[in-house]
Amino acid sequence: MSVLGEPLRLGSRVVRNRIVFPAHLTDAAVARRPTAQHAAYYGARAAGGVGMVITEEQSVDPADRPYEKLVDGTDPAVVPGYRAIADAVHAHGALVLAQLGHNGGQSSSLYSRAPVDGADDEPDPMFGEVPRPLSDAGLARLVDGFGLVAAHVRAGGLDGVEIQCSQASLIRQLVSADARLRRGSSAALRAASPRALPFLVAILESVRAALGPDGVLGVRLQGDEGFAGGLGTEDAVRVAVAVEPLVDYVNTAVGVATRTLPLIEPPMGVPAGYAAHVPTAVRAAVSVPVLGVGRFTTPEQAREAVASGSCDLVGVVRGQIADPAFAAKALRGGRVRRCIGCNQECIARVGLNQRLGCAVNPVAGRESFATNGYLAASTRANSPFARVLVLVVGGGPAGLAAAVAAARDGHAVTLAERSDVLGGQLAIASRAPERRELAHLVADLAHEARDLGVVVRLRTPVEDVQGADAVVLATGARPALPAWAGGHPRVVDVTDVLTGRVAPSGRVLVVDDGRGHAATSTAELLARRGASVATLTPALVAAGDLAPTLDRERWRRRAAEVGIAEYTDRVVLACRDGLVLDVLHHLTGEVTAWPADWVVHAGPPTPVVPDLGTLDVPVVRVGDCLAPRGIDAAVREGTAACEQLARL
Amino acid sequence: MLGEEIVLGRRTAPSRVLFGPHVTHLADPHRPRALSGDHVAHYRARAVGGSGVVVTEVASVLAADHPYEDAPLASSCPPGWRAVADACRPSGTVVLAGLGHAGGQGSSAYTRGPLWAPSAVPDPASGEVPAVLSVAGIADVVAGFASAAAAAVAAGCDGVEIQAGQHALLRQFLSGLTNHRDDAYGTDRALLLVEVLTAVRDAVGDDAVVGLRLTVDELAPWAGITPVLASSVLERVAGLVDLVVPVRGSALTVGATRPDGHTEPGFLRSTCRAVRADGVATVLAGSVVDVAMASEVLASGDADLVEMTRAQLADPELVARVRAGRRVRPCVLTNQQCRVRDVRNPRIGCTVAPPFPAVPPTDASVLVIGAGPAGLEAARTLALGGAAVRVVERADALGGLLRDVSGLPGRGRFADLVAWYRAELWALGVAVELGVVGEVPSDGLVVLATGGVDRPGRGVPIATAVRDGVAPGAVVIEDPVGDGAAVALAERLAGEGREVAVVAPGLLVGPGLARTGDLVDAQARLARAGVRRVRESSVVGFADGVVTVADVVTGAVSSWPAAVLVDAGPRRAPAVPSRVGLVVVGDAVAPRTVAEAVREGRAAARELLA
Repeated sequence: MSVLGEPLRLGSRVVRNRIVFPAHLTDAAVARRPTAQHAAYYGARAAGGVGMVITEEQSVDPADRPYEKLVDGTDPAVVPGYRAIADAVHAHGALVLAQLGHNGGQSSSLYSRAPVDGADDEPDPMFGEVPRPLSDAGLARLVDGFGLVAAHVRAGGLDGVEIQCSQASLIRQLVSADARLRRGSSAALRAASPRALPFLVAILESVRAALGPDGVLGVRLQGDEGFAGGLGTEDAVRVAVAVEPLVDYVNTAVGVATRTLPLIEPPMGVPAGYAAHVPTAVRAAVSVPVLGVGRFTTPEQAREAVASGSCDLVGVVRGQIADPAFAAKALRGGRVRRCIGCNQECIARVGLNQRLGCAVNPVAGRESFATNGYLAASTRANSPFARVLVLVVGGGPAGLAAAVAAARDGHAVTLAERSDVLGGQLAIASRAPERRELAHLVADLAHEARDLGVVVRLRTPVEDVQGADAVVLATGARPALPAWAGGHPRVVDVTDVLTGRVAPSGRVLVVDDGRGHAATSTAELLARRGASVATLTPALVAAGDLAPTLDRERWRRRAAEVGIAEYTDRVVLACRDGLVLDVLHHLTGEVTAWPADWVVHAGPPTPVVPDLGTLDVPVVRVGDCLAPRGIDAAVREGTAACEQLARL
Repeated sequence: MLGEEIVLGRRTAPSRVLFGPHVTHLADPHRPRALSGDHVAHYRARAVGGSGVVVTEVASVLAADHPYEDAPLASSCPPGWRAVADACRPSGTVVLAGLGHAGGQGSSAYTRGPLWAPSAVPDPASGEVPAVLSVAGIADVVAGFASAAAAAVAAGCDGVEIQAGQHALLRQFLSGLTNHRDDAYGTDRALLLVEVLTAVRDAVGDDAVVGLRLTVDELAPWAGITPVLASSVLERVAGLVDLVVPVRGSALTVGATRPDGHTEPGFLRSTCRAVRADGVATVLAGSVVDVAMASEVLASGDADLVEMTRAQLADPELVARVRAGRRVRPCVLTNQQCRVRDVRNPRIGCTVAPPFPAVPPTDASVLVIGAGPAGLEAARTLALGGAAVRVVERADALGGLLRDVSGLPGRGRFADLVAWYRAELWALGVAVELGVVGEVPSDGLVVLATGGVDRPGRGVPIATAVRDGVAPGAVVIEDPVGDGAAVALAERLAGEGREVAVVAPGLLVGPGLARTGDLVDAQARLARAGVRRVRESSVVGFADGVVTVADVVTGAVSSWPAAVLVDAGPRRAPAVPSRVGLVVVGDAVAPRTVAEAVREGRAAARELLA
């Protein structure tokens, strides 16, 4: 781990190690100001050993507001919040920079009620609003805005500033417009003066003046927009070389937030280091330190990024959301609870204007909450009740999380699992293509449980276990076929396929009445085995649940590759022998007969609530046996179970 | 009749017009679950304008119910309720606190706990399976309603309105769609509602007004609440309530509860008449936006009051204007600014109502170039302040794009807006010159509102297609914007028997209609009309009578014969002069919607005279 542990000079400061917590949206701001949650959130990663934290973007223009909770850095009222962040991070010896930016045309008038200011009048693909092109005077006003926010950053005691020119940035839009001019066909176009570099240089000079010589100043540059004709590594290199004399480091990025977002925050299945080409190219061209990112979920992957020479500093966002002590474990050894790339609580929530969370770490996004219900037990001052024997029934994610939390609280814990493996639904779901990383959570929780001395008893039905002082019921849910299935032997649940109980072939219709990946991943599994697969859903969009987690585009490409047909707006009414379905197109009322060799159904399961008889001890239900939901609910409620028991 | 008093229990409302509960996002972000000063101003404006009854934004009776980020919570509301009651009292308006619990239609995003509902039936919108309320949990709900009602009345409200309409646990208990219980609350699905209303009445006494917002038709006769069932429920609870607002729609048809202009105004009238219970004041709700219709409904006896929420968003002084015999600014039923149950928390607004007051008195002379919505609003605002206003318009009629848009399905009420401006300008003595191309003079005050221009592209610009129609043959509309114009044009063309396809880059055609509540219905209308919806795609070629389309994700290409390609892409702003005393507004700045045009027209008048 030595390479990650080497200190590095950034301008006049020294960062203690090579691991960075880069900028990412948290939706933790209130009234456009940083909050105690920001300070606690960044402070927790500093306590966990990170070398440097870069805050989420601080806007340099009050009218720039693509999303509600974007901090307005021009408001002097942000300074106390900056001070709190600086103190929280410095208390643990890490550096902290503020990221400054302007979203340009990648924005909305929803909050500002004013026209969007852009590099030109081309509407953004996501927001779709026609911008008002910024004049040179308008750009000059924004340069002043960058300087003003930098002054606030300095007043707040942060160590410096990173200028965002990458995922959602007016500067990137100008770089892109300049690139189009250069490649333009007409001489007049080619002769037009480029605007991006002069603007960026003016910003860097303005920010440097505000920060003073000892502040750290970096830029984050776009190196792969991810679409034909978009900016590439050569563009990042060109800008990096041009601004190198003015900056202390260069950060890199791929993807445009409003067009190719899955490139920025790639989901499960995308390999670590997928973005390495950008920092590698930039590092070859400049002598200042270069920061690289790229879905590093383990210390080994992060170390490899630096050791291979791709970058000097390695950015780990989701890995440190999942495990705030990622850096300490990377430097001193220890097993991290890995980010599984599910994107359900981080990207998907933030995309819905909700405060960031984490499916595997229920404390993430709630670090500042006094009574949050999910605090890791070991961080509490007083154990809620004396050491007792806690029986956890069920070894899925909820049960495992409950066992870990109770054991960490100091209780003697026995976990009883009916089947012969741990993991519950996760273990089953992880057998599908591209869902393998779900098993990482099972493995990580099982290791934590073992390290904490939890007694795990497999093949143990609940009625066999007696003598507990408290019981956590985490018995999950069982598949429920719809009424129209009528007991037909070739109408089965997705879990029947994933567990291998049945092996459908021929014409398979996968009916998606559920959420998440159950139907799509099973359809893919069967298609890859050679079946002729179609999916059918009552929803207006096929695989719609995969969109917020940024899985959908990859799924559609894979589905096209294996020839899966997708049908929307359809409801199964009945199933007749010979296996013909009556399918209603609910928008038109048309009913068609749909022959199939097999029908595979994904739908909401039914909670399993065992009868505990007259058990005279506190019992708490967590996860799917309370209401069938996602991984996040299972882990969150499992983790909180001990506190709930204490209140009973 | 609108302006006549009506007795509600032991209170008297000064008019028969109700301002119904609605999501506002007016909360102070530091106290997101309380009612803010902006809430108070919002309700005060309607009370001053003559509202008979104001129902405040629905407050959750239990903290476990947190349906949207700044949804009011009853335990945080008493100071706000008091301020609203104090603000409305001088007008005599009856203030009812909206109280509810969204049940399985809530959100688990903020509590991070499960949703609670009668049965484990997932909500169609979220897909989330709720936890089943135990009998003890049900008792908490009943107690929550009772204590919230007592707190509201103690804070000075005249009473409460209990939610059993859309987004309501009490409706979910009443409905066979969502209540599959086999205990007493399942064998008698109205039991919870009866218990709640009994407890509320006990809590507030006979002096306070108890209202009930009740879904009387879930539009799902196979299992949902029907008018017949609702009538029997109303008979059972008639002795407990003073006021009933029948509404429609289930979780399967959320858009049907407060639909846009595609649904006929007053659509609940016959249902309202059918479910009326003796001795209970009954309110006609459901796109009641015209004064004439509202008056006629009241005169006919089909209802005792009318809910005119959106009409009073468009014109807060509706009742006062009616009493004075003046014109009312018409609601255009687009839902674009007022339907804000949206995770982004946009503050409530109104497409046609400018958010700032008119200008102070002036004797300036102003030239307004362009008589679209931006120019019309500027002209009216200036004239109200006393300015001498001259309007020049290139076309031979007022309205700009509104004239063309008003010919599209569901957008007919834009013609009412143009007619209103015409009458207002005439009454204010504004000189309007049609068929005149305005030149910007070298001096003098000028509002430039000439609108946007077409962007050079591959097909017929949509504005042209809407105005002039398109050549014969199969039509392909490429819609990278998704705001509904392409959908409306497709509907119109399909209605004329044309073969139509809409090609859009997103997951759905017309995604912007989500904001108006018309998204699902629009898909159904297009499907029924035979319009081909080509999603996640863009046009990559159009030549020799063949259009070629590529999937934006997979790159898969398909092609089919088409005679006409319509480009529904964005317009652009024209080059405009700049000088002191000249203000540019609306689409001439950047092409956007009517709401921005009206807002900037009003703002321009203030800016010019500042």
